[in-house]
Amino acid sequence: MSLLGFLQDSSRTSRRDLIFRMLPRGLFTLLSLPVLHACMRNEPPAQVFIAKVPRYNIEIRSAVVSGFRELGVRLEEIKGKTILLKPNLVETRSDAPHINTHPAVIRAAIEAFLNLGASKVMVAEGAGHCRDALRLLEEAGIAQVLKEDRIPFVDLNYDDVYAVLNAGGNSRLKSLTLPLTLRKVDWIVSMAKMKTHHWAGVTLSMKNLFGLMPGSFYGWPKNVLHHVGLENCILDINATVKPHFAIVDGIVGMEGDGPIMGPPKEAGVIVMGRNFPAVDATCTRIMGINPRNIPYLASASGKNGTIGEDRIQQRGETIISVKTDFALLDIIPAHKTLRSL
Amino acid sequence: MKKAIDDISTSRLPDGGFALRPGGQYRPDATAWAIMSLRLCGFSADPLYPARARLAIGQDEDGRIAVAKDQPQAFWPTPLAILAWHGQAEFDEPRERAVRFLLNTTGRHFKRDKDSPIGHDPSIVGWPWTEATHSWVEPTSLSIAALSVTGHRAHERVGEGVRLLMDRQLSSGGWNCGNTTVFGTELAPTPESTGLALAAVSEAVNRQEVTHSIDYLMGRIKTLTTPLSLGWSVLGLAAWGERPRNANALIDRCLTMQDRYGSYDTSLISLMIFARKAEGGFIHAFS
Repeated sequence: MSLLGFLQDSSRTSRRDLIFRMLPRGLFTLLSLPVLHACMRNEPPAQVFIAKVPRYNIEIRSAVVSGFRELGVRLEEIKGKTILLKPNLVETRSDAPHINTHPAVIRAAIEAFLNLGASKVMVAEGAGHCRDALRLLEEAGIAQVLKEDRIPFVDLNYDDVYAVLNAGGNSRLKSLTLPLTLRKVDWIVSMAKMKTHHWAGVTLSMKNLFGLMPGSFYGWPKNVLHHVGLENCILDINATVKPHFAIVDGIVGMEGDGPIMGPPKEAGVIVMGRNFPAVDATCTRIMGINPRNIPYLASASGKNGTIGEDRIQQRGETIISVKTDFALLDIIPAHKTLRSL
Repeated sequence: MKKAIDDISTSRLPDGGFALRPGGQYRPDATAWAIMSLRLCGFSADPLYPARARLAIGQDEDGRIAVAKDQPQAFWPTPLAILAWHGQAEFDEPRERAVRFLLNTTGRHFKRDKDSPIGHDPSIVGWPWTEATHSWVEPTSLSIAALSVTGHRAHERVGEGVRLLMDRQLSSGGWNCGNTTVFGTELAPTPESTGLALAAVSEAVNRQEVTHSIDYLMGRIKTLTTPLSLGWSVLGLAAWGERPRNANALIDRCLTMQDRYGSYDTSLISLMIFARKAEGGFIHAFS
């Protein structure tokens, strides 16, 4: 079946619809109680897709396309549109390729979007630690992919900018200065890496959007945002930018002293969705972490999306089938209570 | 080099300033870099006057030069503007005002808690990227360079800035943005930060104090193909008499890599020109 046919076929009856139609009425009522509770918290339901992808040297594009289908991504949403892929590009060390979003996953996303009719796909990043984005691109292996696929790269740290009111209102920043490139694209796709983080607990699709903020105005390592509060800024950026889609590279993530110095952790998954808190909550559950213990995810629930397990319809693989505890460190305060229920 | 100069000129704006890219917004950092590199290429004061004047128009009353007029907190281009005005009597007043701004401005500093997870000493005073945030390696290095070039090498702020840089040097050699250890683990150096810091401390510390950093950069430079890392690595090593013999070839190859990476912006092309011309290092190029 062609990619187009694959997607068109999915628009008819979802697996969720079939399951709910088959449920006995009493069980449905029982299941609905937490759903009603979540509705009262103003948390619309979300769908998150999990694909098992055991390693990078296999065909990954089909997993991304399956995710589009399962999540109801429609052709008309992509056709003729400009797509910005925002990887997590932090640092490069020859012994630590797991710091950054893997080029194979970026290539899979590029090809999936182009095959679905996107008129243009670009990769953009405003790296937080290193000012030389091109070196990161080269040494992470992404430059070769972009050259082969003829994909442009935009260094968001040095983009022209525009200012907008801070729609989140969580930090004391009245406005946010954003790269002008964001106004030229139709879809912003956060291509995060599945990692623990020594300040924020975890870094996933929401935290990855720190890299949209231009270093020319926020400094390196995004000093202003750290100064006014990392967690509130994560919420503000997401509320203001309103990103469209998340693809998390959890094939090999990072545990322990993330987001730079931790060892690799093979989780063997790609996690996708439109609702960023739901995607990140699913990732944390895969990592053996309670999302309600991540302050910015707990705050996001009901505002930027949902993290309630009862509100997230898991597509593809189940969490339990891929769950693998990421190591947490006692010396890191942000890790201390992450697993507790 | 002629093509590189032509490429810079495509980003020149009608008001005399430069954008980072053709058709882009005015940027003081791009303007200052264009002035500095074109001066080394032999351009006289007259053709560069409009660019220097544009920098002055964007200066705030207190002397700072911010990335954008409506974002005064992002004042890190101030030392670049000082260097771009250096040696031009018509711009003595704005230059001195900018120098006073630097001398009166610090980052946010605090005493390290006993159980702090960070390894560096946050109480040492340097310069930040943006107002009311912590001091970091690159803005501190640029400020030291600008103050040294303008006759303030002996000022206590320069001495304190050098002390900050030495405190932020990694024990295994090199610098990054300014974090040494976090939760007991030493972080990795980056070539661009290391080159800039080596250039800044070149006339202030003994070679033994930075040997590991020079060694790191001499090993690392062979692998570099991108302009920011390569440019500052060449300039940092040149400041210590270690400019690689093939530095010009590396720079020329880097300029051809735009086929792979896309067009470089005005600041990056200017840095390439500067690194090719300034064989004695960054600060020496202004003497």
